[in-house]
Amino acid sequence: MSNSSANILDIKNIEVRYDDVILALHDVSLKVPKGKVVALLGANGAGKSTTLKAVSTMLASERGKVTNGSIEYDGNSINKQTPSQMVGLGMVQVLEGRRCFGHLTVEENIISGAYSRKLSKGDINQELEKIYTYFIRLKERRKSQAAFTSGGEQQMIAVARAMMAKPKMLLLDEPTMGLAPQLVAEIFNIVKELNTKEGVSILLAEQNTNVALKNSDYGYIIETGRVMLDGTAESLLNDDKVKELYLGISKKGRKNFRDVLKEESLKKRSN
Amino acid sequence: MVDELLFFMEVVVGGLLAGTMYSLVALGFVLIFKASATFNFSQGAMVFFSVLAFCGFMQDFNIPFVLAFILAALLMVVVGLCTERLVLRPLMNASEDTVLMATIGLGYVLEGLAQAAWGVEVRRLDLGIGDFPVPWIADNLKLFISALDIFAGLVAALMIIGLFLLFKYTKIGLGLRAVADDAGAASSIGIPLKHIMLLVWSAAGVVALVAGCMWGARAGVQFALVDLALKALPVLIIGGFSSIPGAIVGGLIIGATEKVLEVYIGPFFGGAIEGWAPYVLAIFFLLYRPEGLFGEKIIRRV
Repeated sequence: MSNSSANILDIKNIEVRYDDVILALHDVSLKVPKGKVVALLGANGAGKSTTLKAVSTMLASERGKVTNGSIEYDGNSINKQTPSQMVGLGMVQVLEGRRCFGHLTVEENIISGAYSRKLSKGDINQELEKIYTYFIRLKERRKSQAAFTSGGEQQMIAVARAMMAKPKMLLLDEPTMGLAPQLVAEIFNIVKELNTKEGVSILLAEQNTNVALKNSDYGYIIETGRVMLDGTAESLLNDDKVKELYLGISKKGRKNFRDVLKEESLKKRSN
Repeated sequence: MVDELLFFMEVVVGGLLAGTMYSLVALGFVLIFKASATFNFSQGAMVFFSVLAFCGFMQDFNIPFVLAFILAALLMVVVGLCTERLVLRPLMNASEDTVLMATIGLGYVLEGLAQAAWGVEVRRLDLGIGDFPVPWIADNLKLFISALDIFAGLVAALMIIGLFLLFKYTKIGLGLRAVADDAGAASSIGIPLKHIMLLVWSAAGVVALVAGCMWGARAGVQFALVDLALKALPVLIIGGFSSIPGAIVGGLIIGATEKVLEVYIGPFFGGAIEGWAPYVLAIFFLLYRPEGLFGEKIIRRV
């Protein structure tokens, strides 16, 4: 990743403060190469959301500010941009917690994503049909009020809505939060598809380290506002420290919680 | 017996129609509350400002009725523009309470400007529709119903239909509903809040002008219109702050109950309970149904 023009996003040593006092990010640098999926991993409060909001310039609405460092998107500094200008430039954030418009129908939610584009009714319908090919479930529920759809469907609405803005880059903030494993897989399949078929670059904040790395090209691990470790997704998945701390795998070869329980029950029986 | 029933009907119908005038004022509040979750305390001043300007254009400059109305409506769009640029945009990331305080200040500024520009005396506004019973209805149905009330009812109905179509079927209407649901999410997908703010403040300004015309024609165009607009508060509590149908139904309920209470229960209190009875009703709603009849229930997922 030495060639800077190959990166759609280049964050250099940013520091972020809320209310001019609370230091949320100390020193975060990361790069997203064009057309790749990059995972930003870490526990609650590590600074994942803050990093994404610094990129989408949504920080201002929460009284946060980048007080040091620089962010370049597509070769230009994002210094003076507003969120709607960033959307115009092809950078769209899917906020944490899905944030659908509950009183609007599923379809109205998705169409609202095209607000920043000047499209005719016909064009909108065409785009909509294309989006429904990725989100088949949503087509069936298009007339329902978004508030009454399931968590997984709401996450799909949020991503579909962002896709209507025709982004070059998506920022996904914990897209699998609170979802059943099967849905997690479904969401990641869609994300992967959007990445390969539509060529959208993706920066993904996740706590679900294992699934996130399996679906990414590169990963960064942050703790208390600093990048602690980065590397290709493969190298991180095989890293002992990552295994121990984030994947719950120790050297003894326990794979997951079920294996731990199995071991314990075997011990009991032999006693 | 029949006479008593007719009288009761007359009180109710008169109340309902008078209620549409409350609805019109409440509508202005709802528009702004939907977009910014703020109770706009300057709505009353906007009513006063707009209708005084309308009278001023007609009476001081001899501009014809229709043209003067259009000018006054345009003036309210300019007021909306200035409000967005000078008051709301600098306060974009401030708390809702701060914006609320700013609207109180804005109210004083508008009141002052209106009086500086057009004077302080009470003006008469003639819409060409009298505030007296329609003879045809009086003869055939034996009900004495004011022509102005009927006109106000029709105008209110037209405004509702217009606003409904605007919100349901236009792009900017979709934007407004999105902002009303979740302003943060709306801005994350590129809906510019400033356009939406401009739209709602202009629309609220025009609604204020229409409401001001109705009230001005009845009570004279005067400073008291500012306080009268606060009657919209119980209307909103009953109907729900974020619901346009709620504003209408709330207005009708307030109009009808206050008239009925005034006529039948008022004498026991020495009359003039019209002024406070709506607030008592509002208190009951606050206790038992705080989101109002049509208010959007807050839906939260954790």
